[in-house]
Amino acid sequence: MNGSRTASNRSLQWGEKITEPVFESKNDYNTIYMLARKLGFADQMFKNIKVENGEVSAEDILREINRGGWSTGYCGQSPERLKAHMRNQHKFDLVTLRAPKDDPEVGGEYYGLPWPCWGTPEMRHPGTPILYNTDLPVSEGGGTFRARFGVERIVTRKVIENGQQVERQEHDNLLAEGSYSAGSDIKDGYPEFTLGVLKKLGWDTDLTAQEMEVIQRVNPNNPDLVSWATDLSGGIQRVAIAHGCAPYGNAKAHMIAWNLPDPIPVHREVIYTSRPDLVAKYPTLPDAQQFRVPNIGFTVQKAAVDRGIVKQFPLILTSGRFVDYEGGGEESRSNKWLAELKQQMYVELNPADASERGVKDGDWVWVMGAENSSKARMTALVTERVGRGVAWMPYHFAGWFQGVDLRGKYPKGADPIVLGESVNSLTTYGFDPATGMQEPKATLCQIELA
Amino acid sequence: MARMKFLCDAERCIDCNACVTACKNENEVPWGINRRRVVTINDGKPGERSVSMACMHCTDPPCAAVCPVECIYPTEDGIVLHNKDQCIGCGYCFYACPFGAPQYPRVSNFGSRGKMDKCTYCAGGGGPEAPSSAEEFAKYGSNRFGEGKLPMCAEMCSTKSLLAGDGDVIGQIYKERVVQRGYGSGAWGWLTAYHEDVEV
Repeated sequence: MNGSRTASNRSLQWGEKITEPVFESKNDYNTIYMLARKLGFADQMFKNIKVENGEVSAEDILREINRGGWSTGYCGQSPERLKAHMRNQHKFDLVTLRAPKDDPEVGGEYYGLPWPCWGTPEMRHPGTPILYNTDLPVSEGGGTFRARFGVERIVTRKVIENGQQVERQEHDNLLAEGSYSAGSDIKDGYPEFTLGVLKKLGWDTDLTAQEMEVIQRVNPNNPDLVSWATDLSGGIQRVAIAHGCAPYGNAKAHMIAWNLPDPIPVHREVIYTSRPDLVAKYPTLPDAQQFRVPNIGFTVQKAAVDRGIVKQFPLILTSGRFVDYEGGGEESRSNKWLAELKQQMYVELNPADASERGVKDGDWVWVMGAENSSKARMTALVTERVGRGVAWMPYHFAGWFQGVDLRGKYPKGADPIVLGESVNSLTTYGFDPATGMQEPKATLCQIELA
Repeated sequence: MARMKFLCDAERCIDCNACVTACKNENEVPWGINRRRVVTINDGKPGERSVSMACMHCTDPPCAAVCPVECIYPTEDGIVLHNKDQCIGCGYCFYACPFGAPQYPRVSNFGSRGKMDKCTYCAGGGGPEAPSSAEEFAKYGSNRFGEGKLPMCAEMCSTKSLLAGDGDVIGQIYKERVVQRGYGSGAWGWLTAYHEDVEV
């Protein structure tokens, strides 16, 4: 389907539909439209998005994102500008990503208008290829560190006064000091821009009457609180940038994440560790209720150590990716060119560990996981890619379970060319205390000849 | 006259297999036939190197010298092509080739070989088929060269490890790289294929 796609370098591309959806399926936009209609709020959801004969306008979807995407700088990349970039791809410099300044359509812009692409599309901000770059004015793609965490932080410190240790509250300035982007009218740190800040600087008079009216509408009771991120007119962003300032402020880098369990990362042994002797000194975080589920990592770690799990499962098991497969591999393994490159699930095993177990390169082995008598059957790749005591598996396989090929269970015509055991059937308990992300990278296993 | 060559810079190859996939897709090469592949030596050890290899389109190609039906020949651009109508699948070229380039589809249960298949430098075939015709594509694959384009494998290489083109030009590119970074691997296969080293 047509539409914009964002890459991990924050740049956008306009993509054209390549193929029609197969069988009775619909494209994502039309599916969501039909669902919204069933749920009874399609009129509201698609108020500003044109739907003709059940076909949702991809351009209107991006315009809707632009109208609401102020806080991420996802506001300047209109479909028209992105399409102009696709037409003029050859003009962008491969190193600087920038088009020549004199080009009538894309002059001075960075390829794909990497966000933040400030203001309205009409403002023609060139995009920001590097988030922190004080060598360039903000209007030319420069940027500062965002003043996301306020202007100061109050820290209680122990200090010696008159030979006595006392606690003092100190105010740490979180704003930049003496550092600012090129062309900035403020030669120092500054907070995030709001109408109130503009008034203090006397820059509110630069706002147009229409912009002022929109700001009033966003927060009629206290318009001073309307910020660069909530001002739907884009006026606050426009005025800040006209004065060479980043709309989100100019602060110091945020190096201490005081809102995370470990404000500064510390070493913590994995739950199923090959070094139980380190657990007393570097335990995982205590058990805690996390959202709606308990996280009992500490209990599981302690039990694994107490039971001496490592004696039974002496190998560290980790997983990773192929360059030629993607994600869970269901798509890559269905592509004949890619499937041919990797035709079997395997475990990489160090020659020393392999010879202890009588395993030769290419032999079938059982890999046993440390929980629930889990096991998986695959071939061994004996290689020095992995160190002694470590086994590695790709995470792109599925379709086998405990040595049984489940090809017959796929719907007709939907089975990938290559199937294999999934590494996830062997991995064990563990969840990140902040995000709940599972532990797929570090556990223990044992391997024996199948 | 320009002389077409391949050069794989082993200091840059990251074993991503994009060249292999590009070749397969461009030429619709069937499963089990590998016109190009990436070979890794010293896998997992210090000094590990990967190199993308296919037919090197040799000067004075040994495959052509041993072919009993004389179906292999170099074109005036230095590309080694063959005529599948003449090929008898004897496999001599496979034994003669220092790079293992010739491939043979298995055509019967008794392991007899089909007609030889190998990299054509994306220049179509060496038979009587009209250039860029459907018949030529079915037997040999794409004819990018006839459209003034270089082989798909080299065009797709993300690290520009695999270079294709006029030997003088790609040799110069490699020399400049070596001067920039110091001598590393040597240009893999040049001495065998072209009887010449890359002078630095």
